[in-house]
Amino acid sequence: MKIFVNGAATTQFGELWGVSPRSLARGSVSSALKDARIESAQVEALFVGNMLSGMLGGQEHLGAFFAEELGLPVPAFKVEGACASGGLALHNAVNSLLSGQYATVVVLGIEKMTDHKPEDVATALMGAGSEEERNAGATFPGLYAILARMHMNEFGTTEEQLAAVAVKNHYHASLNPNAQFHNLLTVEQVMRSSRVADPLKLLDCSPISDGAAAVVLSTKNIKGSVEVAASVVATDTLGLAQRAHLTQLTATQRAAEKAYRIAGLTAGQVSVAEVHDCFTVAEVLAMEDLGFFPRGKAAAAIEKGETRLGTSAGIVVNPSGGLKGCGHPVGATGVKQVVELVDQLRGSAGKRQVENATIGLAHNVGGSGATAVVHILKK
Amino acid sequence: MSEEAGQPLLYIFLKNNMQSPVKIWRNQKNIASLVGKTGKILSWTIVRVPPGDFTDQAPYPVVLVELESGKRVTCQLVDYDDAHLTFGQRVVTIIRRVTHPDPDGVIPYGIKAKPLV
Repeated sequence: MKIFVNGAATTQFGELWGVSPRSLARGSVSSALKDARIESAQVEALFVGNMLSGMLGGQEHLGAFFAEELGLPVPAFKVEGACASGGLALHNAVNSLLSGQYATVVVLGIEKMTDHKPEDVATALMGAGSEEERNAGATFPGLYAILARMHMNEFGTTEEQLAAVAVKNHYHASLNPNAQFHNLLTVEQVMRSSRVADPLKLLDCSPISDGAAAVVLSTKNIKGSVEVAASVVATDTLGLAQRAHLTQLTATQRAAEKAYRIAGLTAGQVSVAEVHDCFTVAEVLAMEDLGFFPRGKAAAAIEKGETRLGTSAGIVVNPSGGLKGCGHPVGATGVKQVVELVDQLRGSAGKRQVENATIGLAHNVGGSGATAVVHILKK
Repeated sequence: MSEEAGQPLLYIFLKNNMQSPVKIWRNQKNIASLVGKTGKILSWTIVRVPPGDFTDQAPYPVVLVELESGKRVTCQLVDYDDAHLTFGQRVVTIIRRVTHPDPDGVIPYGIKAKPLV
């Protein structure tokens, strides 16, 4: 059985103080249904990807909450996997279609983060780490900084090369009307930005964001649909200290290998990828873990523009602007990545269109790599 | 929104998860088994933008340490100079207060590391 994305949409991403989660959900789901040209009565189940509604908003039971809000009186589920909640919701939706239980479902990824002060959001996000890491006063920038330092030590990766990831992704975001940031950055600006968790600086970090994204999935290949060729999840230990490897995210590597096998493709055939650049170093790790570049070679390639729109001769990475430029409402991100790939594969991505895009890969990570989700989409 | 003694929801989360007397009591053996162990720094960062409960401590180093047993721990480094933040720096694990006592007076203790000189 083949699974297709029939419709896809995102809201504006950003600091949306005047917009409620209900409004974000309505906006993204109604646009996705319209895009798929189906009525809400045809929807048989709703999968909601979200991480922080309980800890920040005090609201759990999100399946029923959004089913009511959207006027979809169907089976509804909240799926949580930290910043991979969106990707995990998609995976569960795909499985529900493969099982034959439903024929048409909606996946909503959503997060409202800017109602709360950054220290509280940082604390809540640390719910994705290990207890040992929370007791150490670690933060997610801090954990990725520990990985960055090891990668720099082993492969000679430089802070300037990490900065080049943010520069590229802000350039892409400047071409995306729904992105949180439209300003261009220079390596010097990134290098001069305030230190958050050495060696990572403010402009190495994805922002705190609000936003939602939705897709309609079904077993029907209606016009404008994109096929989901693989949907794979892998896990690793919650905490960094228990990992076998510290210069890669092993869960990403394992999920990618299996996804390529299922799709019958190699990394070299991917034309466009949306990867989890929660911090600049995370995109470097992803490029190597997903097999796009050999170990230790990705940072220099990114710096040379080998994954940038207009200068890449092969794969383009994070044309949406990625988490860094487009924004990172954590539960929405994994779904937004797929929305971007649908736009790219349909050829409707406007100024940020990747030429001849035929195969897309989405890579969504939870925590410091404890969950990795890889989706491969094809025209 | 639910509030307890004028404290925001996040505070209740913290209290329940880091300062539950039951949990602290249950973790005593784990903490005790990690005290006084020597090891070396594998990697580190300096947290300058901390979680809410650690604001008065920032900036502080968080280190990934490999103990001689091969076990690894992530913890804060204390009683240090900048020169100690290097690959392979020898450290010893100690018991220290992690954050502030809660209003009930429960003091959360945990493992930190200090340079071995």
